Amino acid sequence: MIDMATLLTIVLMAGVTYLTRIGGYIVLRNRVLSARATAVMEAAPGCVLISVIAPAFVSRNPADLLALAITFIAATRLSMLPTVLIGVASAGLFRHFIG
Amino acid sequence: MSVSEATLPEAIDGGSGSEFRRGVMSCLPVLLGTIPYALVLGAQATQKGLSAVELPLMTGLNFAGGSEFAAIQLWTSPPHIALIAAITFLVNSRHFLMGAALAPFLGHLPQRKVFPALFFLCDESWALGLADAKQRASAGITPAFSPRYYMGAALAMYLAWVGFTAAGALLGPMLGHVETYGFDMAFPAVFLVLMRGMWKSVAAARPWLVSLVVAALVYLFIPGAWYVAAGAVSGLAAAWLMAGDA
Repeated sequence: MIDMATLLTIVLMAGVTYLTRIGGYIVLRNRVLSARATAVMEAAPGCVLISVIAPAFVSRNPADLLALAITFIAATRLSMLPTVLIGVASAGLFRHFIG
Repeated sequence: MSVSEATLPEAIDGGSGSEFRRGVMSCLPVLLGTIPYALVLGAQATQKGLSAVELPLMTGLNFAGGSEFAAIQLWTSPPHIALIAAITFLVNSRHFLMGAALAPFLGHLPQRKVFPALFFLCDESWALGLADAKQRASAGITPAFSPRYYMGAALAMYLAWVGFTAAGALLGPMLGHVETYGFDMAFPAVFLVLMRGMWKSVAAARPWLVSLVVAALVYLFIPGAWYVAAGAVSGLAAAWLMAGDA
């Protein structure tokens, strides 16, 4: 039911994440970051998120690209729930009817 | 220390229960957006071979949705342990800034309370707790940060996240291949909405474009999951170089 490699990965993930949670409080509470370090810290989450979903932007399937375009537009003006629903529905429909 | 502890909200016992409830209530609208993609994460995880015990273990111990989506996206059997740990760190590195922003409001609390509370720090509990503290500060209430309010919001979020990811993992096999229904588009959708929330300006988003282009090129031409690390690192390098312009 629990694979050892999976368990190790999960425990490592949990440890690393908890470090990020307490790290800002411990290290940064009495310090002022340089402008440059602040810029890098602020860009980091977006850089990681866009990198993870980058394959969707270069899909060879027109149905996927069309659905991504619609999802992108939805994400710029709607909140989480409707955007997710629109993304899933458009991907499902386009794959069914186009390819 | 004993003086600051004596001024904690729990000293006023009548208010503590309602503060907790106030936190839970303020989290309810957030849960409407959270539950559907907790189910999607659970369903997707079973496609990658994680069991209905392993996934809640991940969401319960890690409790950081973005990194869990990324980990499942990159999951192989056996998993690339170092890659997933590194990506988890990068995705959650925003916690450093969140903790730093919260730190000035936590000064009156003893560390034995702050460290357990920070385990439940997520985008939502952080946003609610910080916004509430700023509001109370401007209303002249001291201490501005309400630990009970924060824990109410955070525990509501935690129970919903772990519960519904587990439910998604249990229901996943019944859904079959979620890709055919388009559920995998939930990842780009969630990530794009999160990024819109982080949007400051076109100039501030230029490193994101660098990340996107580099990650896409690496994905097309180099096998494996290197595209994530390559995209993230090149974006951070771009942010470092571009910071001189500002």
